[in-house]
Amino acid sequence: MFLIFFARVIKFSLQDIGRNIWLSLTTIIILILALVSINLLLTVRAISSTAIDAVKDKIDISLYLKSDSEENKILALKAEISNMELVKDVEYTPKQVALESFKQKHKNNPEISQALIELGKNPLSPSLVIKPKDINQLDELIVNLNKVDDDIIESRNFDDHKTMLEKINSITNKISKAGMFISAIFVFITLLVVYNAIRVTIYTHRTEIGIMKLVGASNWFIRAPYLISSLIYTLIGILITIMFFYPFLSLLQPYLDAFFIGYNFNIIAYFNSHFLIIFGLEFLIAALINSLTSLIAVNKYSNV
Amino acid sequence: MIKLQNIAKIYPPNVKALQQINLHIKPGEFVSIVGQSGTGKTTLVKLLIGEEQPNLGKIIVGGWDITNINHAEVPCLRRQIGVIFQDFKLLYKKTLLENVAFALQVCGQTSKKINSIAPQVMKIVGLENKMHRYPKQVSGGEQQRAVIARALVHCPKILLADEPTGNLDSINANEIIELLRKINKFGTTVVLVTHNREVVNKLRKRVITLENGMVANDQAVGKYLL
Repeated sequence: MFLIFFARVIKFSLQDIGRNIWLSLTTIIILILALVSINLLLTVRAISSTAIDAVKDKIDISLYLKSDSEENKILALKAEISNMELVKDVEYTPKQVALESFKQKHKNNPEISQALIELGKNPLSPSLVIKPKDINQLDELIVNLNKVDDDIIESRNFDDHKTMLEKINSITNKISKAGMFISAIFVFITLLVVYNAIRVTIYTHRTEIGIMKLVGASNWFIRAPYLISSLIYTLIGILITIMFFYPFLSLLQPYLDAFFIGYNFNIIAYFNSHFLIIFGLEFLIAALINSLTSLIAVNKYSNV
Repeated sequence: MIKLQNIAKIYPPNVKALQQINLHIKPGEFVSIVGQSGTGKTTLVKLLIGEEQPNLGKIIVGGWDITNINHAEVPCLRRQIGVIFQDFKLLYKKTLLENVAFALQVCGQTSKKINSIAPQVMKIVGLENKMHRYPKQVSGGEQQRAVIARALVHCPKILLADEPTGNLDSINANEIIELLRKINKFGTTVVLVTHNREVVNKLRKRVITLENGMVANDQAVGKYLL
């Protein structure tokens, strides 16, 4: 009995989609637009989050050492700092490397090149560039670094970093809050659009629903095909969205590569690694909204 | 077959659609319920198919007290009564045959049985050559025949016809009434709700006249009196 019921429900659902093809297409297109909008929003959030991380990754602390420091003492200090819990990485820049880098940086400035030649010696100090594990624990790291007592350290002025970090944190917090707010509004509007699309679809069937009831169809016999239809709409919507969205991401990737030079940010890899969570959740939420809307709308018109 | 005991139906704020209705329709009878518009004929049909519930009284259909029938039982009641509507109420996205088959599908009949019964009933109502057409591709009379086929397909003991000739010309109307008469001859109780004087007078069957929501006249072999 249940198998007969189920087979008929599937048959009626497919028949209904086919015989109301324009209405079905319109519903699917609205779903696709809603899903594309949500995925665009996710893309923007992923890009902005990577951009913020990239800015934070640029923050490091330089510890300048005396020019005549012995190499073994510098390496010992580097090892000591590397072993600190809050330190992610320590990079040692010998004074010669610092000079080469300086020259390269100012190669188009003849006055600086001339000044270096006149000076006759390397004016730059060797340095240790320290990257923190967690940017939010920078204050604590600075306190720890201030405790390091070594006579080869020339200067340890970290105040600029603190101000800059506060500014970055303030900006990123604002971006994050604004993003959440815009996302919430956007998702709410999308839900309303989808809810309304399904309601309109069922509204066009209101006479049929009443007739089915009058010839003795039970509530579930009427509801089930609409539920199945809404699941089919959602599935088709998700599949088409995926089919269109990945080529779009491929087109976007070269621009992101140009924007994030030096960072390995791949938006396709991001969507691939979160595929099930993103599209699975989208399917579940869309299916849930569509099913609930279908139930509410069918109930409204089957009250005869 | 149908018993109505002291039935009253009042719509808010205080519209008395039916009052003190006492009727007894026996198995195999052909009864015409007549009356002008707004006298409560359609309300009576709605009470008999469980679309409305009375404010007072008791309704028994085929030995089943449906006075306070609950929502879950309504489909079961409707599968036992064939109903014919003035506006046909066909599913326009289904063919005539699919409309008839639908009445069996909702009961959970097997496809084999449906494929055997539905075309036979279409043949009885004279639509064997048009059963694969959609309702909009046939005339009003043919649509009404399809509705009769749908109402008959699960061999109901009662057939309710609410203004079945209301949207038809006189030739088609006569054909539909002839069909109802034949169905009655096979033992089905037919309740015809109409205001078509010619039809009622020609039938020479029991006539119940409603006036202001009350039974004004009940003649065993009657005429349209209003």
